[in-house]
Amino acid sequence: MEEKYIICEDSLEGIFTAVYDAYALREGHEHIHIQVGEEDNYRLFATYMYSHPDSVKTDKVIGTLKSRLGEEVYAAICRAAASCDKSKGEAIYRTVVEGITAGSGRRTMENLRNPYVVRTFELARRTANEVHHEVEFIRFQELQQGILYALIGPENNVVPFVMPHFADRLATENFMIHDEKHGMYGIHPAHKEWYLVSEAEQLPKDRVQWSQKEQQYQELFTMFHKTIAIRERRNIRLQCQMLPLRFQDYMVEFNKN
Amino acid sequence: MEVRISPQMSVMDKLKILADAAKYDVSCSSSGSNRKNDGTGIGNTVAAGLCHSFAADGRCISLLKILFTNECIYDCRYCINRKSNDVPRASFTPDEVCELTMEFYRRNYIEGLFLSSGILYSPNYTMELICETVHKLRTVHRFQGYVHVKAIPGADPLLIQRAGYLADRMSVNLEMATADGLREMAPNKHRKNILKPMRQIQNGITQSKNELALYRHAPHFCEAGQSTQMVVGALPESDYQIMSVAENLYEKFSLKRVYYSAFVNVNEDKELPAVTGGPPLLREHRLYQADWLLRFYDFKVDELLTTDRPNFNMAIDPKADWAVRHLEVFPVEINRADYRLLLRIPGIGVKSARRIIAARRFGSLTFEDLKKMGVVLKRALYFITCGGRMMYPTKIDEEYIVRNLTYQNRMGRGERLPFMLDGTTYRQTSLFDDGMILGAQNYRSIS
Repeated sequence: MEEKYIICEDSLEGIFTAVYDAYALREGHEHIHIQVGEEDNYRLFATYMYSHPDSVKTDKVIGTLKSRLGEEVYAAICRAAASCDKSKGEAIYRTVVEGITAGSGRRTMENLRNPYVVRTFELARRTANEVHHEVEFIRFQELQQGILYALIGPENNVVPFVMPHFADRLATENFMIHDEKHGMYGIHPAHKEWYLVSEAEQLPKDRVQWSQKEQQYQELFTMFHKTIAIRERRNIRLQCQMLPLRFQDYMVEFNKN
Repeated sequence: MEVRISPQMSVMDKLKILADAAKYDVSCSSSGSNRKNDGTGIGNTVAAGLCHSFAADGRCISLLKILFTNECIYDCRYCINRKSNDVPRASFTPDEVCELTMEFYRRNYIEGLFLSSGILYSPNYTMELICETVHKLRTVHRFQGYVHVKAIPGADPLLIQRAGYLADRMSVNLEMATADGLREMAPNKHRKNILKPMRQIQNGITQSKNELALYRHAPHFCEAGQSTQMVVGALPESDYQIMSVAENLYEKFSLKRVYYSAFVNVNEDKELPAVTGGPPLLREHRLYQADWLLRFYDFKVDELLTTDRPNFNMAIDPKADWAVRHLEVFPVEINRADYRLLLRIPGIGVKSARRIIAARRFGSLTFEDLKKMGVVLKRALYFITCGGRMMYPTKIDEEYIVRNLTYQNRMGRGERLPFMLDGTTYRQTSLFDDGMILGAQNYRSIS
């Protein structure tokens, strides 16, 4: 039988809609594949279909995943869907098939004999690790109206996973986290629920103006960071191992200027 | 009494002096306490702790680690802030500390405050200042993040109790492993005065836990427990003495952590050893490894060291060292051994031991499976069998195994140390050669 490729948008909604469409074909799962984003190397003997994100289908898939696979597996799949890796569509699709059709259910993620489950597991872990790093390394800057603003450039789409932590921690603050790689804003008004905004409604860069005291606190912390190191124990390699360079670009204490 | 502050000194200058003075304190963890925000101020705590940055020495920056003041009436030989030193002195005011903490915390620079202090006028006066600062931070600023404060030995028990209800973690520094060593190094400090607040905090924690079991809203007392630290390498005490003290502290004082701090001769005191090869980092590393063995691997100090062999082997880690000296136990069959025995195998840690126990319920395990579970086979292969077979034909022979474990090391592959040993050469000597097993002087030949 001919292979079928479903091409979907690179988002949670896109992938879940594609999963729904794949099941809706009712042709078994063996010859159906999900492809995230545009194919750049079309196969000759395969048909390509496009799937458009659909909130009704997405909600149905979410409901089924939660009830059949449990919250934990669902959370792992969401984290995998936030990954930057293009193989995530296929991995998630096969994991769902393993969980629902093959019946691994709530123990799906433990079934590490299945290579697609392993892939989902790895992608989910990579996102989770980056979320943890960003929670630690995000640096807020105070803008003129007392709003806290943080700029990050993560590999994976971590903002939705980082926001709950800060929404609890900084409950009384107005803050926003800007992911420049994925064009995503997480916004938290004080004492209210947080929400996501995509870059279409972008805040122009030159409008970002620091409050009076911001410069002073950045200097204080930079100096603290420098002072607290013990000269006799200097170990830059260890520092880079614990704090990868790609995070350092966004941190005030490593700012070269 | 008027606090001796030169009024013209800026917060920048003060922070520079007082962070510099606090950097030799090792503890910087923000773990052990889990608290949600209550909506009235900022802050929460995460059980595992968070590190917000890493300094140029590779140590994490989790808390704003500062002294309240570096003025001190004591004259401890190893301390940069001793009264006979001519260093710039500064003192914060409680408001300055609060403001710094809040502003750093909002920007996600830090996880909380670590407040220690030199002794200004008297232990009571100092402890009162610390209490006032943290009280202000908790009540006026409604700060709900992590706070670690030092209990000043010799301060009134009521003040220490007050601090305990405000802080997440408290610590009293033991400074030296032996009472004699302490007398020699810190003429104004006494072992008795250090252990007294330690005991008080321990009792406070137990009592608070009992109260919390009955009343959900009872106040927390040092939710994240207490810790202490010892200087390593300033005096000729052996690893055996140090580890025995640590074991006692864990068992009798229910400490959460004991920290070891490689001695840095900041004062160039003539009574103290000159550490020309840099601080004894490898020794410190071995002590931490042994510390983990005590806390998570069910080892006892007497198994690792004896009075005849009072120091750790620098060439191989304490666990591998134990294993090669107890070859009668090995090889261990992975599919049968109990959890305790699995933990004793080099290359298997807490996580992989748990995974092995869970996974072998579904069927017997092979070396391939072990590799996937995260077992370090290049270390474990000398000590294990899977289904009655060893991975390769190997000799169960002490010298053979040690040579193989350290051979990889010479190639720069074996044990990964968290620091570089420049120009490391392992001398081809027998394992128990005394030269390998240090003393600050011999140690230089290795590091």
